[in-house]
Amino acid sequence: MSTRKIGVYICYCGGNISDYVNCESVRDAIAGEEEVKVAKTTMFACSDAAQQEMIDDIQQQGLDALVVASCSPTLHLFTFRGVAERAGLNPYLYIQVNLREQCSWAHTDVPDQATEKAINLVKAGIAKARLTEPLIKTRIETVPRALVIGAGISGLRAALALSDLGLSVFVAEKSDKVGGWVAEFGRMYPHDRRGQDLIADLVREAGLRENVHIYTHAELREKSGSVGDFTVRLDVKGEPVTLSVGSIITTTGFVPYEPASGEYSYGTDGVLTLTEFKRLLDGSEGGLTYRGRPVDTVTYIYCVGSRGSSQKDTPNMYCSRYCCNAAMHASSLAHELSPAVHQFHLFRDIRTYGKYELLYQDARQKGAVFIRFDGEDPPQVEKSNGRFRIQVKDMLMAGEELDIETDLVVLATGMEPRPNQALNDVLKVPVGLDGFFKEIHPKLRPVETVIDGVFIAGTAQAPRNSAESVASSLAAVAKTAALLKKGYVELEPLIAVVDPETCTWCGECVGSCPYSAIEKISFGDKEIAEVNTSLCKGCGACVPACPQGALGVKGYTDGQIRAMIDAMMIDMVEASRG
Amino acid sequence: MAQVNAAFLSKVITSKEFNATECMDCGVCTAVCPMEIDLLPRKLFHCVLLGLEEKVLEHTESIYQCLLCKMCEANCTANVHIAENVRFLRTYIGKEVFKL
Repeated sequence: MSTRKIGVYICYCGGNISDYVNCESVRDAIAGEEEVKVAKTTMFACSDAAQQEMIDDIQQQGLDALVVASCSPTLHLFTFRGVAERAGLNPYLYIQVNLREQCSWAHTDVPDQATEKAINLVKAGIAKARLTEPLIKTRIETVPRALVIGAGISGLRAALALSDLGLSVFVAEKSDKVGGWVAEFGRMYPHDRRGQDLIADLVREAGLRENVHIYTHAELREKSGSVGDFTVRLDVKGEPVTLSVGSIITTTGFVPYEPASGEYSYGTDGVLTLTEFKRLLDGSEGGLTYRGRPVDTVTYIYCVGSRGSSQKDTPNMYCSRYCCNAAMHASSLAHELSPAVHQFHLFRDIRTYGKYELLYQDARQKGAVFIRFDGEDPPQVEKSNGRFRIQVKDMLMAGEELDIETDLVVLATGMEPRPNQALNDVLKVPVGLDGFFKEIHPKLRPVETVIDGVFIAGTAQAPRNSAESVASSLAAVAKTAALLKKGYVELEPLIAVVDPETCTWCGECVGSCPYSAIEKISFGDKEIAEVNTSLCKGCGACVPACPQGALGVKGYTDGQIRAMIDAMMIDMVEASRG
Repeated sequence: MAQVNAAFLSKVITSKEFNATECMDCGVCTAVCPMEIDLLPRKLFHCVLLGLEEKVLEHTESIYQCLLCKMCEANCTANVHIAENVRFLRTYIGKEVFKL
């Protein structure tokens, strides 16, 4: 049996651990363990001085495994892997034991038992460290090209930004024209520039760039390879086009909420969605008219299709975020067309956040009247004498029932995820309960997905306005550049491995893998499973699925887990035997 | 059931100085009013904006009870000229009710 030389460091975390766990007792309890050459306590293991001490110990004592018992690996796993690396030790010979979140903070009321648990946790860490092996990261050379799916404002802006960075861009647009929703719009908030002009500028600029290629009538059909080096097959006007790209930015956009037939009398001529009303405004000159007749009164109803309001079976629970602002802006545009037009806004809550508060202010200054209704008791809309009659209980008047006669009813409709199952099947990016693509972390990793190298931006991810969509698409560009400009990516080696001798290729593992990382290969005269090292995330889902026990995860081998359990339980078992 | 009458506003608004639409219904004016008036500024002007003429006229007394002390105006978060707006209403009532 090989002899390891293990260094163990027990951190006080400045009292976070040592106030409840007697760190000296922990050290004394494990100092005599087999193969432990160094056992120390330290005030802050993450401090520069402590890190240097570990490096010196590793080099002077010839340590070949390192255990730091401190905080959660989420915080400092990479810190101490770095220590190992700087000392010339393979970083995967380092094991972190979580004595803070999983021990001292959890057991502040029972310090004796916390100390006992800490001893067992550190013993388990040492047992695992004994069985560590040096592991090498997989290195992939990246391709300096990107694919953008969807040529709306987010996709086009992303394409130009990628081009600025010297990366070639392919833009695949499903429809026959580029520009998405914004290409249809006239004046937009908050700058009052025309959507058509914004898109025309972007398209003109893209045309000047040699490294931007836009395909219309194009759909993604297949994706293989992995982060930094994908091979994608597009269907462009019926012809297959194969491209090699390093990353994929998904800006597939939204569809407007389509009210159910009869929802606020939708389907009756004169009841418009916000998108339809915007078209009417954009197409009007010298006065607001509808079907040739001047419009005297417009009544808006807010939150249609958002915040649980819908006559459909599964209402959208989210706020669509853009509609309050867009309705305010539409109200001001209508006022400009016909200053005498009367406008009533029936709202649940006004959410003109941030700078858009000025739109709300502007609409009020232009004479718009706001009436608050209860979401549980929405307005009733019925057609009467060529106009509409709306009955609503005004919460700003203690529920007084009002009767409004109006020419137009505008439903401030929200956004819904664009149904695109075929694309989802290829990309395999998870969607949330609301149906929008889901990021890894809403605050810290807002455009990355669990599929490395596939980013999401714009309204494919969540309801938002065009300014916010572009901000997110530029974030995705920055993440793409960080990935592709470096020239290579290194992948964690903590992934699944197949024992070719034991594997009999039953195929059970294939179905269990959420990342489609397992393939069939020939091995001598039989067929076995092989793990694609660049797709595998090391989740371990395949391991219990294998009836032969031929699969394992590096860094979490069965042997290591058994050794940890044994080390943790041995004292308890002996104590129970008396 | 009160009938909303958008046209009513044009009878009251005879100048750009009338700016009750800027109100965002926070209710501070109601809280600070020192008078025990039946229909306090926020609700009063909401009624005016909705064109609830009958309801406004029912409260002619209240409209004249206002001291024009501007306590409400000084505390208004939306810069509504409340006292000025009350005077607009009085002008209207003077014409419509008292035939002045």
